[in-house]
Amino acid sequence: MRHPFSSLSGLFVFLIAATLPLRAQTPTDGLMMSKGAFCAAAVYSGSQWKEYWEGTNFRSSPNLGTVSNQNIMLMGALGITDRLNAIVALPYVKTNASASYLAGQRGFQDVSVWLKYRVVKQAILSGTFSTFVTGGVSAPTTNYVADFLPLSIGMRSKTASARLIADYHHKSGLYVTAQAGYTRRSNVRIDRDSYLFDNRLYYTNEVQVPDMADGTARLGFRNARFQTDVWIDRFAGLSGDDIRYNEMPFLTNAMKATTLGWYGRYNIKDFSVTGGLSRVVAGRNVGQGTGFSVGVLYAFRVFGHGECRKPTGMAAEPEPEK
Amino acid sequence: MKKTLSKQFAAGRVLTAFLILFLGNACDKSLDLAELQPQARATTDNTGGTWKTYLLASGNELAVAQPQAVGSPAYQAELQALKTAQAQATGAQKAAARYWGAGAVLRWNEIARELAAQYNVPPNNNPDGTYPLPDAANPMLRPRFPFANPPYAARVFALLSVAQYDALVTTWNHKFKHNRPAPSKSDASIQSLLPASDLPSYPSEDAVVAAASREVLKFLFPGEVELLTQKADEHKNSRFWAGANVKSDVDAGEELGKLVAQKVIAFAKTDLMGKANAQVDFPKMKESATARGLNNLWSSQDIPARPPMLPFYGNVKTWNFDQKTRDALRPPAPPAMGTPEFEKDLNEMRDITKNRTREQFRIVSFWADGVGTYTPPGHWNRKAAELIHAGNLNELRAARVMALTNTAIMDAGVCCWDTKFYYLTQRPSQVDGSIKTATGLPNFPGYTSGHSTFSAAAATVLSYSFPDKRAELEAMAKQASDSRIFGAIHFRVDCEVGLRCGKQIAEYAVTRGKADGSGL
Repeated sequence: MRHPFSSLSGLFVFLIAATLPLRAQTPTDGLMMSKGAFCAAAVYSGSQWKEYWEGTNFRSSPNLGTVSNQNIMLMGALGITDRLNAIVALPYVKTNASASYLAGQRGFQDVSVWLKYRVVKQAILSGTFSTFVTGGVSAPTTNYVADFLPLSIGMRSKTASARLIADYHHKSGLYVTAQAGYTRRSNVRIDRDSYLFDNRLYYTNEVQVPDMADGTARLGFRNARFQTDVWIDRFAGLSGDDIRYNEMPFLTNAMKATTLGWYGRYNIKDFSVTGGLSRVVAGRNVGQGTGFSVGVLYAFRVFGHGECRKPTGMAAEPEPEK
Repeated sequence: MKKTLSKQFAAGRVLTAFLILFLGNACDKSLDLAELQPQARATTDNTGGTWKTYLLASGNELAVAQPQAVGSPAYQAELQALKTAQAQATGAQKAAARYWGAGAVLRWNEIARELAAQYNVPPNNNPDGTYPLPDAANPMLRPRFPFANPPYAARVFALLSVAQYDALVTTWNHKFKHNRPAPSKSDASIQSLLPASDLPSYPSEDAVVAAASREVLKFLFPGEVELLTQKADEHKNSRFWAGANVKSDVDAGEELGKLVAQKVIAFAKTDLMGKANAQVDFPKMKESATARGLNNLWSSQDIPARPPMLPFYGNVKTWNFDQKTRDALRPPAPPAMGTPEFEKDLNEMRDITKNRTREQFRIVSFWADGVGTYTPPGHWNRKAAELIHAGNLNELRAARVMALTNTAIMDAGVCCWDTKFYYLTQRPSQVDGSIKTATGLPNFPGYTSGHSTFSAAAATVLSYSFPDKRAELEAMAKQASDSRIFGAIHFRVDCEVGLRCGKQIAEYAVTRGKADGSGL
């Protein structure tokens, strides 16, 4: 898990990209569920950091100790058609700082809904090339405390995101996926009515949360039985300030991170088990998180017919567009 | 093929509609910020020059030069220069005129609040586990000087308000001695951008506040000389862009403001603040408490252990009473550990740790006023400023409310710190490490609560000045006090006794206010 300061809201897509080893598909990968197929997933993931970047200053805080985040994500993906999927997800998050008296937080975070549409699928160079567009929204489901970083479970921002995905799957099973997205994040209201932002004092309870851009590249192997890949991801807040000297992070901070990860999946009949590892290698205003995830997925048919446990795009053989 | 295309379009439309639905209310990210507006002042207080001053002997102590008569060529030339300045004022300069026109005392109080927030940062520890001291000689080196913690900020607001008030009493004294009318009253072709005033214009109340505030804040925030100079220059120039003062009005105000500030700074250098952080004497303080039979003393819960915040602030000079009265105001010891009363308060902390509600967390956050904020004294200055603006008080009355409030707040801080370091009681989390807080654990002893003492003092003085707001102000103070219980950083007794003490302390400021010659 590579979420900055264990706070997930608005960066939800990154949580998924980092940890969700879905055999089916996610908003950021090159996979689709076939028409009528539904995939239910439960993924447990955890991350922790001791060092973090206060602006560009890499440091630790003995008064926080190790800041950790655990979450259980419930997720469902439905093949509306072979080309259009809907995905919904909701995490339950728990945070802690090992050395601090500050109370760890827990609760349901933000619900996210995405639509994913396959634009192109064609045989090329002994493989299949596909492109997708994804649009997603998210909103908090509970009245959790956002202004308590790094222990808040989220940032309470409503988000809307759009992304493009390109996937090339060679007939040998090797594949590469690239995705890039933009996330618009709404202002949030906090419980106090003044705060410093960019070294100025604002007299309002309304806070601007920076929009963000992100991109991921994956290289791996997948077939109907298993999948494994390594990935690199970069996300960046597009505005915002740095964490102030020796202060806690705040919602206005421009959080940026580059993360490396591994992800694997193994199918057993209609079930899959998944696992993931991640590590932040560079950042700004984020913790240098190390994360893992394990998950169970179950696919079944809710309408239509055919084999549901094999999402389109998963086949070892290219399936040219008809 | 045709069917596929139309499907594609349909899907595209669904996606687009989906995004617009959400982006619709998320698109406008501009912040809705309230802006103070200039307003005509309700009263002129012609005898304001006789009101009782704090550090000056009287409003008559400092002299100003005899102004040129209205009919004199020199003054007429000044009026011409004013017209030219006003005619040439840019849009930004006119906006600056309105900004400062909303209130000189209020704007400088705002500047002080912002500086307090920016400088309210505890030093990070050195690699060897010690903590660096902010250095007044190198204020911009990290950790920057000063660490504007709540006691420091209380003194900032008190010194600033006293300087503004004494300077304005002196200004009022000279204004009504010389009775030079506002430029727009001497020359009908001059139209002020600000509401017309019957107040005599020499010396300029804006210039005197600008100069006094600039000098006092330069002393307290020595790294901000450039910013403060620029603000004061803009403030003084804004009077020309507004068509509100001629140059000699402003020059006389500048001179007077500087003189008053010198007096205030000279006082500040001897108020014992310089010894408030004498950490070398802290062990003796603990020994003295032990000798008085106290045990289970407070220790820093920071990692590494941090020297306590200003352990000798309790000796800093108070404004409205002497040290003997301070001792008399010190409350008796709280229930000792192990007594049923103590256990009851301790169990409340454990219960809050387990069952803290969202509303309690909201109250904690609203009143936290911790690192990177304007501190509890700043929070109450903001409230005072809102009441002053809503009440349309003239500069002198505004400064009087601020001085009464901030001297009471600082007195409250001094008494509270004296009590804290006299009894050296533990915070809940030191007693039981399983007690988890909703805000940072302050690095000084618990009994009595600073928030409670500051807040009760501020609410008491402001209720005297704005009697119809008493219920609201007292509720605010109670909530600020409760917030520390909900945060599990204070036992209930810390807060309840703090509230009582704050009220008693502030009564001395109220008594002064009733007898200061204002008749208010």
